[in-house]
Amino acid sequence: MSRTFATILGGLLLAGVASSPAPAADAEAGRKIANMCRTCHGVDGYAQIPVAPHIGGEPEEYLEAQLMAFKTGARDHEMMSVVTAGLSAQQISDVSAWYAAHKVTATLPEGVTTADAPDACVSCHGADGISVALDAPNLAGEVNIYIDTQLKAFRTGKRQHAIMSEIAADMTDEEIRAVADWYAAVALEIVPAE
Amino acid sequence: MKKRTLLSGLLLSTVLAVPVAAQDNMDKLTNMQKTGATFTHIEQEGDRAEALRDIIQHIDVPDGFEVSLYAVVPDARSMSMAPQGTVLFAGTRKDKVWSIIDRDRNRVADEVKDFAPSITFDIPNGPCFSPDGFLYIAERNRILVFPAAEFFFESPDIAVGTVVAQGELIPPEEESFNHSARVCDIGPDGMLYVSLGQPYNVQPAEKLEMYDELGIGGIIRMNTDGTGREVYTRGVRNSVGQDFSPETGELWWTDNQVDGMGDDIPPGELNRQTEAGQHFGFPWTNARVEIPDYKDVPRPEGVSFVEPQLELTAHAADLGMRFYHDESFPEKYHGGIFWAQHGSWNRTTPVGARVMFTALDPETGDAMGAEVFADGWLNEDTGEYRGRPMDIEFLPDGSMLVSDDFAGAIWRIAYNPAPAE
Repeated sequence: MSRTFATILGGLLLAGVASSPAPAADAEAGRKIANMCRTCHGVDGYAQIPVAPHIGGEPEEYLEAQLMAFKTGARDHEMMSVVTAGLSAQQISDVSAWYAAHKVTATLPEGVTTADAPDACVSCHGADGISVALDAPNLAGEVNIYIDTQLKAFRTGKRQHAIMSEIAADMTDEEIRAVADWYAAVALEIVPAE
Repeated sequence: MKKRTLLSGLLLSTVLAVPVAAQDNMDKLTNMQKTGATFTHIEQEGDRAEALRDIIQHIDVPDGFEVSLYAVVPDARSMSMAPQGTVLFAGTRKDKVWSIIDRDRNRVADEVKDFAPSITFDIPNGPCFSPDGFLYIAERNRILVFPAAEFFFESPDIAVGTVVAQGELIPPEEESFNHSARVCDIGPDGMLYVSLGQPYNVQPAEKLEMYDELGIGGIIRMNTDGTGREVYTRGVRNSVGQDFSPETGELWWTDNQVDGMGDDIPPGELNRQTEAGQHFGFPWTNARVEIPDYKDVPRPEGVSFVEPQLELTAHAADLGMRFYHDESFPEKYHGGIFWAQHGSWNRTTPVGARVMFTALDPETGDAMGAEVFADGWLNEDTGEYRGRPMDIEFLPDGSMLVSDDFAGAIWRIAYNPAPAE
């Protein structure tokens, strides 16, 4: 049953991603751009402050889509809207390639198994919060308040996404927090790219 | 389209089947029932503490002052010392408030554990005490009160009351993660003062009226039971530091200014408020700098903007502040203001991560000028932070505590001049 969902979702996601032209990305050039990201996201993508998500080892397509959304105003954030205003599409591709190049591992806390993961999330975000879809972020080890805030933004319509908007629409505050706590409790390790 | 509706319907039903682990225990606690919650203790010795102590060699303070590690406290933000001086409470931008205890009064914490683990906190950044020992905690969108917290903190199930219910501090649609670290204080009038940052870099004009009415981008005050709420301060962008002058009872506060206008503008601000309802200019101005987005938006009628007391290094992020009303520091610091600069996040050359000081003019009471009191948390060779000071509090002996949410520490700065030879 859940396999079928994953396939349908994957199809939707791939269709969405394929429609945006992707310039050839240069991770090494992206590393230099990452100097303006590191105070919050770390140079390897392990976040340094609670309000910023971990972005090391994130799907490149997701990173690029979000940075473009901040740049075009489709997604709004006090800091990221300012940062992306000064980045070209090429720079966005490059810095996305840099952060995507890192390797991530996730470890569930003791006493739980993947079967305990929130069913609604696993087909895109994985039971351990490592993304299994190009248009879905890793959630492993994110601060629970970050995930909570994003789900609420989808629920109010402040942030929009074909799948997430509908999933979040009827979730209660308690359900949102439970999902956020699940992924926040996963230990994330980021191994820098060679 | 039909397929998608069906799909999300199925997904939703599975979401609802997830056991709700994060049940809020407010009802149980209000009825004095047990919740089964347990404490998280933070190790105060070992590798983490050693790594933090290694930072101390980099910190510069004036002659006669000494820096030490007071406590290992993950994500430590705004602090409030309990009236008897036994327990320090520190908020976070996550989901914990920490109790930091120094039972033997050797000026090093013996125990650090989470406060009220039975409660599901949401950005509980701002603790503040009333003089009679009620601890208020301002969260993103709720304010709770804990009577006699200094004596009851040892129990995970603790008496709690609601000052402002969940979702009633601001409209839930206006919630964000950034600019949601509230600070609070009990004023000389016994009212509770709470800062409400506005969630944007510069808020859109269509939000102006609603924000002005609710005090978003301002400081509000209310009775300690939540009644009588009013906007006390207008024209603020995002204030994360405030204190009342022990001399005059006036509210002073710091503010964080607009990003994206350049490395050197607009200046950070230290403000002095002399009466209720004053407007400090935002989003039309930051100090004397006009905000381009608001050039053509009419200013509020009949209102003149109050200029800051001090214009501070742009983007250094002036946060928690306290008047010095103790004795153990040298005379020049008595009655002055200390505050933490958290450090810049996107300035070309990083700046900040230090503790600042200004004396006040004995005649006018105005700030005389900012000077660096303690720095070195920013590695100027690499532009990397070793730590990021966030708030200032004082121990009963008059020594200073500096919270650091980057290193996960509370530092102590004491005046211990070497004895004369």
